[in-house]
Amino acid sequence: MSEITDSNFEKASVRDTAFRVRMRRFFGVLQRLTSNPTTVVGLVLIALMLAMAIFAPWITEANTPDAYQMPRDWGAVRKPPGTPGHWLGTTNEGGDVFYGVIWGSRTSLQLSLYVVGSTMVIGTIIGSVAGLVGGWVDEVLMRIVDVFLSIPELIFALAIAAVLGPSFTNIIIALAMVIWVKYARIMRAQVIQIKQNDYVDAARVIGDSKLNIYLKDILPNAVTPVTVQATLDMGNVVLIGATLSFIGLSEAGIAEWGVLVSEGQAGIASGRWWASTFPGLMIFLWALAFNLVGDGLRDALDPRTEGR
Amino acid sequence: MQLRDYIFRRLLVLPILIIGVSIVVFTLTRVGGSPIGIYLSHEMTPSEVAEIQARFGLDQPVWVQYLQWAKGILQGDFGYSGVAAAPVSDIFPLKLAATMELAAAAGCVALFLGITLGTFAGARRNRLPDHITRIVAVSGASLPQFWFGILLLIVFWAQLGIAPIGRSDATIFASIDHPTGLYTIDAILAASPKAFWDAVWHLILPALTLGYGATAIIARMMRSALVEELQQDYVDAARAKGLAEKIVLKRHARRNALVPTVTVIGLTFGFLLQGTITIEIIYRWPGLGRWMADSVLRGDQGTLMTYVLFTSVLFLLVNLIVDVVYANLDRRVTLGK
Repeated sequence: MSEITDSNFEKASVRDTAFRVRMRRFFGVLQRLTSNPTTVVGLVLIALMLAMAIFAPWITEANTPDAYQMPRDWGAVRKPPGTPGHWLGTTNEGGDVFYGVIWGSRTSLQLSLYVVGSTMVIGTIIGSVAGLVGGWVDEVLMRIVDVFLSIPELIFALAIAAVLGPSFTNIIIALAMVIWVKYARIMRAQVIQIKQNDYVDAARVIGDSKLNIYLKDILPNAVTPVTVQATLDMGNVVLIGATLSFIGLSEAGIAEWGVLVSEGQAGIASGRWWASTFPGLMIFLWALAFNLVGDGLRDALDPRTEGR
Repeated sequence: MQLRDYIFRRLLVLPILIIGVSIVVFTLTRVGGSPIGIYLSHEMTPSEVAEIQARFGLDQPVWVQYLQWAKGILQGDFGYSGVAAAPVSDIFPLKLAATMELAAAAGCVALFLGITLGTFAGARRNRLPDHITRIVAVSGASLPQFWFGILLLIVFWAQLGIAPIGRSDATIFASIDHPTGLYTIDAILAASPKAFWDAVWHLILPALTLGYGATAIIARMMRSALVEELQQDYVDAARAKGLAEKIVLKRHARRNALVPTVTVIGLTFGFLLQGTITIEIIYRWPGLGRWMADSVLRGDQGTLMTYVLFTSVLFLLVNLIVDVVYANLDRRVTLGK
């Protein structure tokens, strides 16, 4: 490097190089991701289910007045799959299983986006503050995290949802209150580790503000494990949410997969297998898709773990 | 850090965590509204309400209420279960025995299948058995257990009619004493093969359902630990010595690979404990999980909070034991900072 002429220019060029390195890494990750067959299967599944959620009103006409309530066709209760107009069959109350499967994908997408989105932001902020400030702030925040992690996830979410009362919105709130600690812990560890790097010292030496260093040098380098966790959680929160719904913490009659499995359970003794089977299959595929991609992402971002 | 210091430090933190959990649980009992709601009616005058509040100590500051609540817990006063129509402390041991029997059976399934599958895959890295194991592991982690259980019931109970539901046959249950509450153990103590078979027969399907998900956790860890061990020099040395591959695998590599696998036991335990809730609902298993689900639906939050507190303390203790055992097994582990 030649003599320093303009420190702003220097900073800009260093960051420009950093940007290019990051872009190259991004495309490398993308290439590794798509060369893994199980990840591709996961990506295809996610694409299909997102399409299902987005185009739900065009696939099957929305129920009025509330599209998220199962339509009831009392003239066609307990119909087996293959019935015209109800080709996945109907429930005990004449709910169309196909409608539940399709609109359930919207319910699940909302749940996962709300929970993962909010916990990622809250966890990142709290974890960053703990990692950056250190001292007693860090100590207090991390002890709170430890306490939250001491209670098994599902049981904790069950307890919060039970206190708030049975509704799908309360399941979302309960999950958010339980999940954020994971991001706080990951982010804190990342910030502490990255803080010790030479390039952070360098940025400090050339007089960057603390906020600038955090936003431009620390945060971009810390997002990797957060992204992996978020991808896995997109699937896991639907799994836990559906479990809470199955137990009975959602409103009855909502187009949600866990509720449908629970409602269909009563019919299996009389041979009506379909009302539980199809919605449950969707929960499984949803969780599977995000787990496959999350695993693939972890391998692609960290080549050392490949094939392990 | 010395192992002794490490254990000491962990034991010191344990009560702090337990107090923390109890504060969270106490807060939850109060978020749902004042607990005297069930004693009140519209005809009461404000002075009568105040009297009831005073009787239950609800006119005291919150921290005093917390201390009174915690004192009650420590003295074994867990409140009254509306669902079971009896004090929680009377019912709890019976339900706990049912849940523990189920979780232990599922744990055995998971340990056996997990170690077998993990070894099988790790020794055949990146070949077909490995890929199949990976699919089993990932699908196990993604499977909604309540749905898997219902599928098994559709096939083996509703269609084929070979699997039972519930925990035991009523007449066989009445034919023997139940000193432990663990039906398999009770049957052995009563020397009744018929009762033992009945208990096992009722356990198989729920234990398989619950164990499958945990199998995935163990198989995965076992596989990656074995892959790592097989790259070590001592494995080459054993092979160079002319030992059969089977012996190298089983006596040398697998034994060492089991050490890191110990770390996922805590995780597995939490998984099994949580899983019992839905499994018990589906198989009508009279354990803690089903009791809690019923309590939640009937608004019996006091019972639920006892359960949350109990499972968390159990979870903390198991994790502590696992960490100490692991530190003992593998001296390379650096303890704390």
